Amino acid sequence: MTTKENTISKDMFVPAHVDPAKSEKIAKKSLNFWQDSWLRVRKNKGAVICLVILVVLIIMAFVGPLLTPYSYDTQTTKYNNLPPRIQGLEDVHWLPFDGTLTRKDGTEYNAYEVRKVDAYYWFGTDNLGRDIFARLWKGTQVSLFIAFMAALVDMLIGVTYGAVSGYLGGRVDSIMQRIIEVIVGIPNLIIVVLMILVLKPGIIPIIVALTITGWTSMARVVRGQVLKFKNQEFVLAAKTLGASDLSIIFKHMIPNMFGIIIINTMFSIPNAIFFEAFLSFIGLGLQEPHASLGTLVNDGFKSMIAFPYQMIIPSIMIALIMVCFNLVADGLRDALDPKMRD
Amino acid sequence: MAKYIMKRIVYMIITLFIVASLTFFLMKLIPGSPFNNFEKLSEVQQNILLDKYGLKDPVPVQYFHYMVNMVKGDLGVSFQFDNTPVTELLVNRVGPSAQLGLQAMVVGAIIGIILGVLAALKQNTWIDYLCTFIAVVGKSIPSFIFAGLMQYYIAVKLGWLPVMLWRGPEYTILPTIALAMFPISIAARFMRTEMVEVLGSDYITLAKAKGASSFQISVKHALRNALIPVVTVLGPLAVSLMTGSLVIEQIFGVPGIGEQFVKSINVNDYPVIMGTNILFAVLFVIVTLIVDLLYGIIDPRIRISGGKS
Amino acid sequence: MKKSKLSLLLVLSLVLSMFLAACGGGDKNEGKEKGNKKANTEEQLADKQELNVLESAEIPTMDSVMNQDVLGATMFNAVNEGLYRLDPDQKVIPGVAEGMPEYNADKTVLTIKLKKDTKWSNGDPVTAHDFVFAWQRAIDPKTASPYGPYFMMGKIKNATEIVNKKAKVEDLGIKAKDDYTLEISLATPIPYIESYLTYSLFYPQNKKYVEEQGKNYAKDADHLLYNGPFKMTKWKGPTATEWVLEKNEDYWDAKNVTLTKINFNVSKDPQASANAFTAGEADITPKLAQAAILSQFEGSDDLLRYLEPSNWWLKMNEKNKALKNENIRRAIALAVDKKALVDDVLANGSIVSDFIVPKGFTVDKNGKDFRDTTDSYLKTNKEEAKKYWEKGLKETGLKEVTLTYVGQDTDTAKTTDAFIKDQLEKTLPGMKINIESVPFKIRIAREDSEQYDLLMGGWGPDYQDPMTFMDLWVTGGGNNHMNYSNPEFDKLIDAANHELAKPGKEEERWKTLQKAEKIVLEEDAALAPLYQRSVNLLINPKVKGFAHHAFGPDYSYQWIKIVK
Repeated sequence: MTTKENTISKDMFVPAHVDPAKSEKIAKKSLNFWQDSWLRVRKNKGAVICLVILVVLIIMAFVGPLLTPYSYDTQTTKYNNLPPRIQGLEDVHWLPFDGTLTRKDGTEYNAYEVRKVDAYYWFGTDNLGRDIFARLWKGTQVSLFIAFMAALVDMLIGVTYGAVSGYLGGRVDSIMQRIIEVIVGIPNLIIVVLMILVLKPGIIPIIVALTITGWTSMARVVRGQVLKFKNQEFVLAAKTLGASDLSIIFKHMIPNMFGIIIINTMFSIPNAIFFEAFLSFIGLGLQEPHASLGTLVNDGFKSMIAFPYQMIIPSIMIALIMVCFNLVADGLRDALDPKMRD
Repeated sequence: MAKYIMKRIVYMIITLFIVASLTFFLMKLIPGSPFNNFEKLSEVQQNILLDKYGLKDPVPVQYFHYMVNMVKGDLGVSFQFDNTPVTELLVNRVGPSAQLGLQAMVVGAIIGIILGVLAALKQNTWIDYLCTFIAVVGKSIPSFIFAGLMQYYIAVKLGWLPVMLWRGPEYTILPTIALAMFPISIAARFMRTEMVEVLGSDYITLAKAKGASSFQISVKHALRNALIPVVTVLGPLAVSLMTGSLVIEQIFGVPGIGEQFVKSINVNDYPVIMGTNILFAVLFVIVTLIVDLLYGIIDPRIRISGGKS
Repeated sequence: MKKSKLSLLLVLSLVLSMFLAACGGGDKNEGKEKGNKKANTEEQLADKQELNVLESAEIPTMDSVMNQDVLGATMFNAVNEGLYRLDPDQKVIPGVAEGMPEYNADKTVLTIKLKKDTKWSNGDPVTAHDFVFAWQRAIDPKTASPYGPYFMMGKIKNATEIVNKKAKVEDLGIKAKDDYTLEISLATPIPYIESYLTYSLFYPQNKKYVEEQGKNYAKDADHLLYNGPFKMTKWKGPTATEWVLEKNEDYWDAKNVTLTKINFNVSKDPQASANAFTAGEADITPKLAQAAILSQFEGSDDLLRYLEPSNWWLKMNEKNKALKNENIRRAIALAVDKKALVDDVLANGSIVSDFIVPKGFTVDKNGKDFRDTTDSYLKTNKEEAKKYWEKGLKETGLKEVTLTYVGQDTDTAKTTDAFIKDQLEKTLPGMKINIESVPFKIRIAREDSEQYDLLMGGWGPDYQDPMTFMDLWVTGGGNNHMNYSNPEFDKLIDAANHELAKPGKEEERWKTLQKAEKIVLEEDAALAPLYQRSVNLLINPKVKGFAHHAFGPDYSYQWIKIVK
């Protein structure tokens, strides 16, 4: 054993060359904030699937109407209120695509046969005989547009306003908060009615009304967060190091509240879609023959018992969009929040 | 503290004044007469009516009269309901809306917070997913659909509860549940986010290191801190719930203020619009103040002095 | 439907509730059906004669002089009584009056004897002075009653002068010759005066009580007096969403009132009303208009459907250059498939309207319906429409026409509007319609200021005479608002209102009105009539003797019997 030891001579060792300049080198490719976040989002399978679904829905919102031979606004009143029927699936009775309806006494009948209609309306028709499949995608398009516009405004105005108000504090904060109270204090229904007068009824007054009043909740939440962070160590440290107010707000505080901002944005999306649905409910929504998910659900609600598919199909679409937005939001939140990094 | 509250109350009055003024002038921009069939009356007759309600004066004069009367507690007389003071109308209609809103808020906040805390404690387990699902579905389906489905299946088909109207506690159950769906989802989502964040923070690690039980940690340390943003959101939500939901009130035949308000806007019943709006605004500013005060109580790090730092 | 009468007023107030409602109608067939129903009441009566009714709105006022709402009129009809009332067949029958009026030679002075045994609920007798008081109160400018002058001016002697402050309130053409004799002087003979007097505006009010109560009068159920078949025992004022009527034992005809109690509740959601009905919580629903809700009850005993005298049409504003052209107007009027509209879109029993004066509304001396003695006009004909369209475009030199279509924001209205847009754009190449659905009040404002090209509107009668539909179109008329003017038409209407209103000219007057209708539709194509509406409501088959009316109140409850 000892001989073996002896065989390793000192000259077999060469001192490692230590380059002080490279001591801080990170072997892995450096990632910026967004790449980094993406890596983490990818780990969350639910979020990725939902993201894919959302992308598909958005594409379908534009492609969908082209897939059916019927246009979203073509009326064939003779063929109104037909239930869904899809080629190939019509013989599978446990699927709701066989063209049957249920009478009040519980008996089923095939509406297509009874009314001698030789056509396939995949998602059925509404009371004017318009194809619900085409209207659904058209409506998704409009609703997503309203929702994204609202969310965008929420983010831009709400976050800035809330952050400035909370950070500056004092008199500025007081005044800015009072302004919010005034804005919230004026009923948006009055604003919508006024907008319909000033602008033509349709999608623009709805967006404007949403824009005027929608961002206030975001501003309040952000302000609350800024108040919370303002006296915390990392902000004090940044201040001491001479960071400007702007960079403290946008570089240090806001990344810390991505979670709450994104969650809140995700709330403003359904809020926007629902506000539009509410306007449809009271008759101030989109103008015919245009459709949104809100108007579709609302129209379907009126026929809830006689023609349930007219309500169920758009409801499923709204729910699907919401669930996906929420799970994506969760994924993003976990990924973006610096405190959550592993 | 007392000084701060005093100051806030002064601000509140200014805010209310501005809201009332803005609403007044915006409302006057909406065309159309507040009277039924006004146009078919003769001019003489129209003048008599306008005189009776002081609508012939220039708008600034009307505004002045309204403000003076408002300070005196007189909110005018409704146009659509003959000879009915607005204050009386509000008193009659606010009760059911407020009760319903409060019930929905309490139910919603409790269920929501429980769901949120559970989801956060059992992060990424099936419990988490289930809670998330309930929360998401609650706000993904318009409340009128919930209300309509519940009314049809629970009341009509099963006959467990009355279909509609407002006659006793059992009549409030369905509308309360329908109205609570939204607060449940809001509370649950915010609670989960906050809890997850708080549970990852240093002081929780410290508490764990000091050997606090997990119950102690979640309730004493985490819950309290996680409640702040939830309170921020739930405060204004409470006001909007209590001031009535047109949809729920209409479907369940609740004699509330929400439905009345929307109708008033549609028929240009200025005094009712103004009165209701002022009531909403008062509630809102009061709740805002309470929420701000609660910040200080819940999170000692926030100094209530209005940020004099 | 704007400024139409009471009935349509209700529509106004219902902008938010999802459905349109209107006044009760009822043609002769309906009357017969009712007769059958009466016969059926031979069945055993139920032990509990209590009715649960849903209404779609609150009662805006219980002061008969201030009322302008059809629900109000229905309630007055139940708890109070005027000189005359309508029976289930829309015939005028005596109420407080002892018999039908006696006329002077030129039919401008009516003498009416009153029953001597009618009482107010405080025990006072109902006298001629109570009528004089109520009528004077209604016209008195100090009262600022919205409908008083509207109903009296140009009809009751001196009413116009009082409103214009040229005469005193006491000069109004109503005098109490003694406690039980009334003398009413008219400004001009009115062929339909008897049915006109059934309006709640002409009901009596107890002078002593009203003056004693002052501002509190009609504040709630405790500040009212009743002289009708029922008494209001619970009503907390105009904002109340529930109220209760109970049988008035002191009513002169109380022996024929079977119901003991009616509970009213407000339900503004049609599906919820249908649900409450299905669950047995209500015996009578408000009027339901949605085809989808009605389809659940199609063919069931629960569904009561009847045609009402309200007519819906497309107004064409001749301020627009294209619409000034008669051929273009005619093309629009002919282009809409009205049959598809009533059968597929509305699907609620409404009928195609090729006329102005509705079916089942007025009859001539011989009992023949106005519609049965004249033609219909502007029947759907897409081929003809295309020809007129081409011709019209050539005449005006236009290649395409873009029109603003103002409609209302209720569900039924929106669907109808979408359908009409589609029909017009498809039938008439180069036509472009922009729909603007706006809240009711704004729609009225748009119509008044003539800021529209096409406007969907309707009209319900103010009184039982074709004139209520015909005088809308006179040049510069307060309800014309589409810049339509035809001197010949104006002349005919003037004649029908004056010379021909005198006794003995009934037949000629009828012919004149029918000629005037032909001018507006056939000659000028000034208006595109679309449909006459049907009322649909759900009523428990055990409820017999429910009467609905063509004008004034919607329903009468006093003849209702509940069978086992």
